[in-house]
This record gives sequence, structure tokens and C-alpha cells, in this order.
Amino acid sequence: MTQRDEDTDEDTTAVSFTGAVRAFGSVRAVDGVDLRIGRGETVALLGRNGAGKSTTIGMLLGLYPPDAGRVELFGTEPERAVRAGRVGAMLQDARPVPRVTVGELVGFVASRYPAPMPVSRALELAGISALAGRRVDRLSGGQVQRVRFAVALAGDPSLLVLDEPTAALDVEARHVFWESMRGYARRGHTVLFSTHYLEEADSFADRIVVMDRGRIVADGTGEELRRAAGGSLVCVDLAGRTPDALALLPGVRSLEVVAGDRVRLRTDDSDATVIALAELGAIRRLEVAPASLDDAFLALTSSAEPGTGPEHRTSVPLDTVKAL
Amino acid sequence: MLAYVRLEIRRTLRDLGFVIGGILMPVMMYLLFTNIGENDGAWRTAAMVGMAAYGAVGSALNTGGAVAEDRAVGWLRQLRVTPMTPREVVTGRTLTGVVTVLPSIVAVLAAGGLVNGVRLAVWQWAAVALLLWLGSVPFTLLGLGNGYRLTGPATGVANMACNLGLAVLGGLWFPTTLFPGWLRSVSVYTPTNRFAELGGAVAEGHAPEAGAIIVLTGWLLVFGSYAVLSYRRRAGTV
Repeated sequence: MTQRDEDTDEDTTAVSFTGAVRAFGSVRAVDGVDLRIGRGETVALLGRNGAGKSTTIGMLLGLYPPDAGRVELFGTEPERAVRAGRVGAMLQDARPVPRVTVGELVGFVASRYPAPMPVSRALELAGISALAGRRVDRLSGGQVQRVRFAVALAGDPSLLVLDEPTAALDVEARHVFWESMRGYARRGHTVLFSTHYLEEADSFADRIVVMDRGRIVADGTGEELRRAAGGSLVCVDLAGRTPDALALLPGVRSLEVVAGDRVRLRTDDSDATVIALAELGAIRRLEVAPASLDDAFLALTSSAEPGTGPEHRTSVPLDTVKAL
Repeated sequence: MLAYVRLEIRRTLRDLGFVIGGILMPVMMYLLFTNIGENDGAWRTAAMVGMAAYGAVGSALNTGGAVAEDRAVGWLRQLRVTPMTPREVVTGRTLTGVVTVLPSIVAVLAAGGLVNGVRLAVWQWAAVALLLWLGSVPFTLLGLGNGYRLTGPATGVANMACNLGLAVLGGLWFPTTLFPGWLRSVSVYTPTNRFAELGGAVAEGHAPEAGAIIVLTGWLLVFGSYAVLSYRRRAGTV
């Protein structure tokens, strides 16, 4: 993709990873990532803890140079893009900066950028206007998180990078946060955020990049991911049939016996599967439901070896999904 | 970078540990040591310079503690993703350290002049303050070296050890004339001893010895290299 139209790509590409690798000791935290993010896109980087999200973000910000491959921001080295003030970032695990007020901190960071937004605007977007005079190290965890968001926004950067931005927020604060983020993205800015909340990725990103063990395992809209993982789930009572007979029906990709006499089929084509079931007369308590994104995520990042046949693939029971 | 120095100075002055350890303690100790028992004016003057030097060393080392703290909370990392260059950050930090030793020096000199009745010519006051200020730079670099090299708690311990050890050995607390001969000969090579001598000479009305300048310059190079090496080692990982 990066080979084609180098010239136009430079104008439209915000982020580009080409075969990027980064290891810490013997662990390849990022293990061959190819990724292109266009300007104005809002992209979620989704994965479990330890999937390589934070390392990817660190490489993107120039904090970790790649061991192999290439990482570019706006067609140049990440460090140069950062020095030019084109990037604002909210890093993970940062604790409050001691002995400084919210207004001083955000004002200082804003003043480092060539064309910052007014400090009052950054505070307003982050929902902390009322805290301007308060000391950062005396705020609650959720408030500190919003201060860090204001710090990321302050320079009015073209690319906003947020590493697990909502980790310490309660439901309401989370809502306010995403509203602000969307407002920022709508003004033509590029936003990349990492999360392990599936709903967040689905609701607030145009595109979801799923990472697992340092690699990108899926890339698309929420809808595309659902489809990729097997678009629908069809449940039906076995009524004495052997499950194996149903595994070969049209569209079926995998099958799982639930509650003894009931079977759940993951299918690419629920219509064809249902018609085939009807022909077999296996329609007792038939249910068709779209696969949830949780389900898609599990299917994409499950430990199944590539090449294993679809029939007897072990599925993780759905009730464990909630624990994610 | 000036904005960064301003911000960091403000943060330093809000640090209770700095205000107590770097400003109030030397003043209290000075007043205590010079008002117990019989004291002559010469001791009050000498102790004033010694304690101002002690306070300056403490404040200078404190800069390193602040760096270790900023590393631990992720503030230095956050600065790395702003347009500031690493060079600006480390230079700004050093300047902050250089500026924040001034309150320690001024506070003890003020206690000497206002409370203990130390009388010096105007040029002597100015020269003592200026020499103590310039002479504190090696200690700021030592603190920065510790702060970039060690973890937060380890930096605290290392700074404390450097501060107390060098202060006592250098004769900032008690005059070296009380030391046994061998210790006195070690003492003249410590940076603290020569540092206090800078101010002490002026307070007595003559220029510091060339030896003091040479020894301090040597330590400036040693601690400067230590700070640069520590910073280089850390630069990619803060």
C-alpha cells in the first residue's frame, strides 16, 4: 500500500508502519506491524493487556526506535513530527505532575507548540474548566486523567494519540470524554486511541485495528470485524442429532455444543444455514443472532493455530467474554 | 526554555522538603551553632559562610531528587512528546538547579547580617553570595547525575549521603581545625571545603586561593561528566 502513489500518500497519510519490530529483551512486543492511518481517521487500537498496543504507540511517538522496519508520521521520522508540534499524546501510567496547577501545566505545554489552542478551550474540551487553579497532585484519579487529556489537546496537534484514555474514568466522565474526543476528530484531526474496551472501539472509532501478541490480527470497521469472525450465530436444539452432521451445513464455520442438547453454529451465511437446517427438520427453538463484537474479538485473538479445521475448533464460552 | 525554567522554579519553591531542608534547616542550624555558649564574631561569620554553603549544597543536590521524581511520575516522558528537545529539557533543569540554590544562600546570609550582627562591606556581601552561587554549580551537576542515574528513593539516599558526608568532611558544620591532622589533609581536597573557602576568604577580606579554584574546577569537570554520562544512559528511556 505504501508503495503506490508515494507522493499523494505523503499528503494523506498521518501514520505509517512498515514491517515494524520492537523487542524488549527476548520479548518481541511489536512483531512486524504494517499499518497506514490516513489523515482525519479515528482509529482504535484494540487488544488485551500485553498485546503490544503501548509499544506500538511508543514507536509511533518516537519513544522507541524500531529494531527493524520503519515508522513514519506525516511522511517523516516520528521525532521530527513531534518536534514540529504535530502530535499531542496522553501516555499510559503517567502519575500527576507534583506541585503545579492545572492551568499552569496546560498553559505551559500549550506554549511549547507553534499554534496551540487557548488554554481555556483545552480545559473546556477536557471538562476541567472549574479546576484551573487547583493543584494537579490534589485531584482525583478521574480528574487527573482529564488533565492529561487537556495536556494532549493543548497544542492543537494534527494527530492526537491516546493510550488507554478512559482507564480511570467512571461512566459519566467516560461519556463526556468521548464527546470531546469526537468533537476534536470531527474538526479534521487524526485520532488514534488504544483500549481494551470493545464497545469503546466500536462506538468511537471509524476503524478498529486488533492487535494480539505484537501483530495486527484484524483491521476494519466493527461491522467488518463481526463479519470476519463469522457474521451470525444460529442456535438450535439438537433433538438427538449428532453435532457433526450440522458442522458441514452451508455457511457454518464452527460449532459448539451448549447446554447438553443445544448447538450454536457460527456462520458466514445465516440464510443458507437456516434453510439447510429447515431441510433437515432441525428447527426446534431456532434462534439467529448477529455475532457480537466481543465474540468477534475473541475469535480473532483466540489461541487457535492457523490451519486448524473449523469443525471442532474450541470456542471460549461466551460468559467468559464479560470478564474481558 | 525560560518558560520551562520558570515552571520548574515555581514547582521547586512549592516543595516543602526543599523549603525546610534547603532553606529553613541551614538557617536554624546556623543560629543554633552560633548562639550556644561563648561565641566570637569571627566564628559567627565563618559559620555563616559554612552554613550558607551547606544550604546551597543541599538545594543543589535537591535538583537531582526532583529529576528522579519527574522521571518516576512520567513528566519527563510527557515532555518528550511535546516539541521540546531533550537538550532544552536538561539545560532547563540545570538552570533551575542553579537558580534555586540562591534562596538558601540569601537566607543564611540574611540571618547572619540581621540576627547575628555580622558586619561586612557591601562588596563582601555581594562577593560572598556570588562566589557561593557559582561554586554550587558542581553540586547541582552531582545531583543531576544521581537523579538521572538512580531511582527516586535511591536518589534521595544518595543525595543525603553526599550532602551530609561532604558537609562534615569539608568542614561546613564544624571547623576543620577540630579535625585530626590526616583528616584535615583529606578535607582540603573535598569540593565542599573549597566551596566554603571561596566565601570564607572574601568574608575575611582577601581573595580565595588559587588552590580552591583549581580543586573546585576539577570537581566541576568530574561531576559534570557524571551528569552527562547519567543523562546519556537515561535519555532514551525516560
